[in-house]
Amino acid sequence: MNEQLKMVREKVAGRPKLLVPQTAGFVYCPGCQEPLAARIIAEVLEELEVGGKSIGIFDIGCVSFLLGVLDIDALNTPHGRPPDMATAIKRAYPDNIVFTVQGDGGLLAIGADPLLGVLTRSEKITIIMLNNTVYGTTGGQMAPTSLVGQTTTTTPEGRDVTRFGFPVHAAEMIATFKGVAYCARGAFNTPANYQRTRRYMKTAFQKQMDNIGLSFVEIICACPPNWHMSPQDSLKWIEEKLILEFPLGEFKNVDRLE
Amino acid sequence: MVKAEVIIDEDLCQGCGYCVEFCSRGALKIRGDKFTSKGYLLPSVEPEKCTACGVCAWMCPEVAIEVYKYSPKLVI
Amino acid sequence: MSERIFVEGNVAISWGAATAGCQAFYGYPITPQNEITEWFAREFPKMGRIFVQSQSELGSINMLYGGAAAGIRAMTSTSSPGWSLMQETVSDLANAELPCVIVNVQRGGPGGGPIRHAQQDYLQCTKGGGHGDYRNIVLTPSSAQECCDLTQLAFYLADKYRNPVLILSDAIIGRLRETVELERIEFGPVPDKDWAVGGKARHRDGRRHLVEHAGDLYGRYPSYRALLQRLQEKIKEMQKAELRYEAYKMEDANLVLVAYGYTARVAKEAINMARAEGIKAGLMRLITAWPFPDDLIREKASEGSRFLVVEDSLGQLIEDVRCAVAGRTEVHLVGILDRHIPTDGGMIMPDKVFSKIKEINEAESGGSRGYHE
Repeated sequence: MNEQLKMVREKVAGRPKLLVPQTAGFVYCPGCQEPLAARIIAEVLEELEVGGKSIGIFDIGCVSFLLGVLDIDALNTPHGRPPDMATAIKRAYPDNIVFTVQGDGGLLAIGADPLLGVLTRSEKITIIMLNNTVYGTTGGQMAPTSLVGQTTTTTPEGRDVTRFGFPVHAAEMIATFKGVAYCARGAFNTPANYQRTRRYMKTAFQKQMDNIGLSFVEIICACPPNWHMSPQDSLKWIEEKLILEFPLGEFKNVDRLE
Repeated sequence: MVKAEVIIDEDLCQGCGYCVEFCSRGALKIRGDKFTSKGYLLPSVEPEKCTACGVCAWMCPEVAIEVYKYSPKLVI
Repeated sequence: MSERIFVEGNVAISWGAATAGCQAFYGYPITPQNEITEWFAREFPKMGRIFVQSQSELGSINMLYGGAAAGIRAMTSTSSPGWSLMQETVSDLANAELPCVIVNVQRGGPGGGPIRHAQQDYLQCTKGGGHGDYRNIVLTPSSAQECCDLTQLAFYLADKYRNPVLILSDAIIGRLRETVELERIEFGPVPDKDWAVGGKARHRDGRRHLVEHAGDLYGRYPSYRALLQRLQEKIKEMQKAELRYEAYKMEDANLVLVAYGYTARVAKEAINMARAEGIKAGLMRLITAWPFPDDLIREKASEGSRFLVVEDSLGQLIEDVRCAVAGRTEVHLVGILDRHIPTDGGMIMPDKVFSKIKEINEAESGGSRGYHE
């Protein structure tokens, strides 16, 4: 018997299969965490074995650069409109997995109309909102989730509540709708939060596969350039300020709508 | 003896430093002497400190990192 | 196999769509087209097809975008203010080259306007309507039968050219009940929708499909210029092949009326009254408002015919007629200010058109050229 002890090389972590191979980097800014959302979507769709029947709908904004990054059928849309497309596509192909990826401005400001529409009609889709508290692509204007006092290009003196109100809590608000089966908020500021968020994402897609109701995942993502911070300071900002304003966790998780 | 390998794709890395931040072993450092073709600072790996946990790969927004583990296996 | 039904124009559109194999309808309430939406709400679930009441016209048109991207025959319907709301996405539909059918049952404007008839959306519909360079094919029914038949044609043309097709009706044609012979029209083959999304597993080659509204960013076209060249090519193809009109008593006409929708029927009656008095009037009735019959109008103008545009607006169709006439002869208007009563229920009536015909006929011909109000 010729048994030998050999050192075997195994891959522990790398590019998920559903992320298209690249030769050049994403167009994202250094330290932007939005591509991590694509990563966990890719991992989760692979694990659930639904890559072949997934359709992703990407809004305008920093998220639009994720079109083409996943090896699934996908669309981009006019600003704010993914939930409408998702409604039509899910109703045409109810056995497919249909999800949207949108920013905080795209979902809560210009996208408020379609958002209310799908919540009212209880569409069985998955909405993923990447919350970086600004309109990133256009240079960092105030967004519905900007913090009180946050400096942005349209609030150069800081967000003033008497003129521009308070930040919107999407996950808490959406959890109040009866048509919602699952609602959670995650972040990528620590590996532990990354893993939790990944779990939330998997649960959200599972809710759609089980045909229960609308699922929603909000993810706080670092935006170093528009927060005027280094990537490392952005992580501290998330921990010390953003998670305080936008607590993490699951806000609704039901197996039946009523 | 577990041996670990961290490969960083130099065309994709943007020098954000999250891998350095999240490595619990200090196995990654931006020393300031390596650059990508676009001028981003590349991290250096100290493989002896690495335990192949994979966290750097998960947290890299550019999906630029691959982590390999060498483990002894009985092979016929 | 045909069935005879007695329905209003709006409902005839719904019947036409269902007969053409429309699989999905998305709509929002707005007068005067609620009959269309409500028909689909009642009938489509029975047929196992999709009906969604959206949260706004923005919702309807974007759902239409989704349905079209999924490769199914889908439609939405609205009236003038809703049509305005939809423009950004119609522009996107044109860039993304998605086949779709949109109905606009015109009402008064501008703004909220009266909920009754008007023909004030002509320019917005025929010049694209949204930002950027594109054209919608615009079909203009004048009867309930045409509402049914042109809707079937709309689905065929949308698939043939991968372009938005608009059915431009008005509240009078929409609410007028007439007999309709309901029969499926065969138009011939349309290209395969092998670009549609539906999950990779559904596609023949198993590879992903991207539907996007940029054109050149994801390889659909090699450059922005290439996209524009294709759009221009498409405009020319549609202009060449899809012009439709009715020439009523035009063979010897020296006074040509140009109209569409309800005013075309009014014009016909006025022409009959004029012919009874020996006036050689004829009607160029638009069945497509775009493509527009420039060449025919130019020809008639060159022969010396004068023109009278009959439209329920301050003057929109008349701009296209003047353009084609290019100063060769007179172009007159009977418009919205000539309605028989000053309220929003007023209409353009045949006797008004007839007296204008007489006035033009008795005036010195070969006199002043150019614009006349």
